[in-house]
Amino acid sequence: MVSPSLLIAIPLGGAFAAPLLALGSKKLAKWIPPLALAADLVIGLLLLPRVLEKAIVVSIGGFPPPFCINLMVGPLGLSLAILISLVGLLISIYAMGYVKTEPTEKYHVLYLLLATGALGIVLTGDIFNLFVFFEILCIASYALTAYEKDRAGTEAAMKYLIQGTVGSTFILVAIGFLYGLFGTLNMADIAARVPSAEPLHLFLILAFFVVGFGVEAAIFPLNAWLPDAHSSAPSSVSAILSGIAIKTGVYAIARICYTLMNAQGFLLFLSLIGIITLVVGEIAAYRQKDDIKRMLAYSSIGQIGLILFAVGIGTSLGLFGALFQLVNHALAKCLLFLAAGYMIYRAGSKKLSDMQGLGRRMPLTAVAFTAAAFSLVGLPPFAGFMSKLSIVCAALKTGRSAHMALAAVALAATVVEGGYFFRVVQGLYFRDGPKPQSLGPAKEAPAAALIPILVLAVLVIAIGVYPQLVTGVLDGAAKELLNRQAYIRDVLEAL
Amino acid sequence: MEQVANCMYYAGGGGLILIGLYMVLAKTNLVKIILGLSFLDTGIHVLLVAIGYIRGRTAPIFSEGMAETTPVVDPVPQALVLTAIVIGVGVLGLALALAIQVYRHYGTLDVAKIKGLKW
Repeated sequence: MVSPSLLIAIPLGGAFAAPLLALGSKKLAKWIPPLALAADLVIGLLLLPRVLEKAIVVSIGGFPPPFCINLMVGPLGLSLAILISLVGLLISIYAMGYVKTEPTEKYHVLYLLLATGALGIVLTGDIFNLFVFFEILCIASYALTAYEKDRAGTEAAMKYLIQGTVGSTFILVAIGFLYGLFGTLNMADIAARVPSAEPLHLFLILAFFVVGFGVEAAIFPLNAWLPDAHSSAPSSVSAILSGIAIKTGVYAIARICYTLMNAQGFLLFLSLIGIITLVVGEIAAYRQKDDIKRMLAYSSIGQIGLILFAVGIGTSLGLFGALFQLVNHALAKCLLFLAAGYMIYRAGSKKLSDMQGLGRRMPLTAVAFTAAAFSLVGLPPFAGFMSKLSIVCAALKTGRSAHMALAAVALAATVVEGGYFFRVVQGLYFRDGPKPQSLGPAKEAPAAALIPILVLAVLVIAIGVYPQLVTGVLDGAAKELLNRQAYIRDVLEAL
Repeated sequence: MEQVANCMYYAGGGGLILIGLYMVLAKTNLVKIILGLSFLDTGIHVLLVAIGYIRGRTAPIFSEGMAETTPVVDPVPQALVLTAIVIGVGVLGLALALAIQVYRHYGTLDVAKIKGLKW
């Protein structure tokens, strides 16, 4: 049997091995991230059938769970870990050719640390351990945002760092209070003791947590850093930030609201801020007529809002929709950023007006971009349709007027989303670009970039046509969040 | 007097956090903002140690000549603080490095004047 702790250990080990290997051969060093993440993907898929039957609890140090740091590999954690490894693997293949600024091994180290942080967050069962992994992820993403050391990237990273650090402080305060109340840091142990605490204390702690993780998840009004960081970073970094990093914030909020605190009264508020985030993000994205990456970044804010809305619905179908949307957004937004990376490269600027007519010069990239854009909008043959449908169904099935009204707002925001994505796609195909003589020869993206883009496009379509690929796993994951007694029992009765 | 002594560390930690927040929010000089982040960190550390502190007890280090029944304070928050200090050092180092880069690009540390993006 393979141990789930390898999921975290392999990328972490890779991060330390990369610079050492780069001393000998730079070419070998850049193969480490794809290899490490591919190994993770294989391990994750191997573990999946067993985990769907019964969650695996790994206690580190050989003590029984409340006294040690434990990993809790349930359906939710493992499905997100597989998603992170898959998306991370594809982006790292893309980055092998895309990242040229020396020293590239530093990029690979930071990239692997980011992946380690994300994997640790979704797998750990200890609240302070979650904070540490969260900081690993944050520090790696600050540094990666500024990787090119250009004007915009440095400034965006500075902004991101200041806001992110204040957010982390809030998380640490919450953890301190939690320890003061319960005298334990084990999430299952805390969850078991929560009913004995005063509601006001719990509410304060929850508020600190939501504000802290809300900064990373870019919930309105804590999202000021996101459009700058995601649009100024190199495209491969934007893809991992948008696809993975912000999702970990949402995961943490969901885990704390459901498993840790059982905060039923807080869920409607969560839905409400989700919808506000959605509307603000989509309208801001619609207003970006110039910079394609800024538009995609604002669209990420909107999508996070939708996921949060679905998390707040609080039923099994709602959580299933949230996780499904999370997976779809991770795949589609990664694809959009990766495709945009080479579209910017070929067009010579980030401006949407310069990309007109690119659909004929880079047909494969443009088709993939279009598929992802349609999937995010929620057109039927693509993956986004199924997830948006389940979210709306879940909201209607609750029978509460508040959720129905919010679902109506969400649908209206989808129209706005359609507005800007269709505008870009129309520009790609049906508008004439700049004069042909001013352009270089028509060229696709290179193979190392095209393979991840096409794999993601195939996944987006395959999940849309055949949702059963993921629904079984995500259903189990949604049930894990709702069934906190099973979580507590699994961890505390392990060994 | 007993009351004051009991809540002194909490008040100190909370106060440092508030000072840090004020510096991050109100100052325009980048270095002062980073100092504010450092204040925030320190405040948290004091707060965490205060949570685990029990009056009249000693450090949880067992050494020779010390009875095993000596009352000690809770060691877990202190371990947390050690980790938090390390994380804080990493963040501060990165922040200062970025501040140097920002200065090279913009020639100023005044965030009101750094407007390549919308602050």
